[in-house]
Amino acid sequence: MTKTKDALRQRELTINMGPQHPATHGVLRLVLEIDGETVIKCTPYVGYLHRGTEKLCENRTYLSAMPLMDRLDYISSMANDVGYCVAVERLLGIEPPERAKFIRTMMCEMTRISSHILWLGTHALDIGAMTVFLYSFREREWIMDLFEMVCGARLTVSFPRIGGIRNDVSQEFLDSLYKFAEEFPSRIIEYETLIDQNRIWLQRTKGIGVISAEEAVNWGFTGPTLRGSGVDYDVRKYMPYDAYEQVDFDVPVGKEGDVYDRYRCRMEEMRQSVRIIKQCIEKLPKGPIMTPDAPKFTLPPKDKVLKDMEAMIHHFVMLTKGPLTAPVGEIYSSTEVPKGELGFYIVSDGSGRPYRMRLRSPSFVHVSALPRLCVGSLVADVIANIGTIDVVLGECDR
Amino acid sequence: MKAKDIIKRVLLLEIIQGMALTLKTMFTKAVTRQYPEEPRAAMPGFRGLHALSKDEEGVMKCVGCGLCAAVCPSQCIKIFTAQGLNHEKVVERYEIDTLKCLFCAYCVEACPYGAIALTEHYEYSDYSKESFYMDKDKLLENWDKYMSGDKGNEYFKRFWKPMSIDFNTSEEQAVFKGWDNNK
Repeated sequence: MTKTKDALRQRELTINMGPQHPATHGVLRLVLEIDGETVIKCTPYVGYLHRGTEKLCENRTYLSAMPLMDRLDYISSMANDVGYCVAVERLLGIEPPERAKFIRTMMCEMTRISSHILWLGTHALDIGAMTVFLYSFREREWIMDLFEMVCGARLTVSFPRIGGIRNDVSQEFLDSLYKFAEEFPSRIIEYETLIDQNRIWLQRTKGIGVISAEEAVNWGFTGPTLRGSGVDYDVRKYMPYDAYEQVDFDVPVGKEGDVYDRYRCRMEEMRQSVRIIKQCIEKLPKGPIMTPDAPKFTLPPKDKVLKDMEAMIHHFVMLTKGPLTAPVGEIYSSTEVPKGELGFYIVSDGSGRPYRMRLRSPSFVHVSALPRLCVGSLVADVIANIGTIDVVLGECDR
Repeated sequence: MKAKDIIKRVLLLEIIQGMALTLKTMFTKAVTRQYPEEPRAAMPGFRGLHALSKDEEGVMKCVGCGLCAAVCPSQCIKIFTAQGLNHEKVVERYEIDTLKCLFCAYCVEACPYGAIALTEHYEYSDYSKESFYMDKDKLLENWDKYMSGDKGNEYFKRFWKPMSIDFNTSEEQAVFKGWDNNK
């Protein structure tokens, strides 16, 4: 008798969501304690994609550490690279030329669009809207082709360099990018036609995962996840880097701080990105693409390497040992990547390699706030919450 | 709730709008590609399979300085040099583990002679691991296959960077030249 009673006893159920779950955007594992359909406890477990990026950087020169940055947030690699280059440039005290700055800004915004499109497609797919996924990948492919045109790689680009960029853009690229910028707003309208007013979408997103502005700041949210709650913090506006000072754009903010507002924020951000790209193309000046006044920190011109003794020695030293005249000190530099604020804290001991490099990745901070967003909501809303903080585990685990 | 909203709700307007868009898209040109039948040509400068370049006489350009191996972030290049008959340095073995490579093209940038290139070939999947371990002969063969003729020269002109021109202003740089809506 007691046995049956025990079996029928109501108790909380512990379930594992992930690491092999299609809606956890990679290898995020959540241990959920559920009471019926309601989540009463949520514990995220991260580290399944840990590759030791920070430690690996210590054994590499500043130049050859950059391909690792591609693999942090692998869907917005260009923005990571630019962030890293900006950090090292600030440490070394050099400034890229104007043309390189504009091209980098252009690339950052292309990355933002591609990342947000991917987010929109997968987030909508997670919570039940299939069609947007197909539409958004159509435009993402377009951007990938543009990346391939400019640097020869689609995902892991390694395009910016410390003190400039790898190679100049072609006229064909500029024209196709402008064409993209002209056409893309009409595509955003298409996505909005599909889901913006859709009653299922509204029910799944409105009033879900609400977080107030104060709490969002306290949790350390950045990027669109923070701006959805109504805080207009954007590194591009407050601590401008590259050419962001010279272009005109708005920072869209939400009001309620729920999943729907964060979705609106990202959609508006794509429109602003298109605006920035257009301005960058229109204002693109002629000029050098590598900084001419920092010969100690950039590679010497190739055509001089075999003719000029100094250039040759310098070429060998730069590639094998790194910039040996790097100043001793430490620096924290942050840039706005599509997910939020990506920070690099670099300690330099004067050798050609970073003594210590710490990465402040937005995804890690956002994942830590998942219990706050999920507790009390339904199991199905956990998926919406994972989607809305736009987590990429490559960046979270590093 | 206003009367307008009620009508919208009852008539499923937003759903119909979405469906109309889907229906409209049915009659546009497909954006997908039937891949193995319709292969996709890579853009110039695509970072694909490696090749060791040859000069006009068909001799390998590499001198075995080891800069590519030194700069390689994944350390997938191995070079072994020996002494030749006239006491010159000869590259005995040059090996690239393609499976380790992350295609950053730093080796191309590092090489002072323009001896290594990344070709536009990307369809080289195979069943055995051995076929991805490229030795000197295979790499030189790749050059003949994918980079022969003018293509190789064009490649180094554009992607063997940085050049002096990057540090100065170039006259024929790409800039915005106005936008024509009908393009």
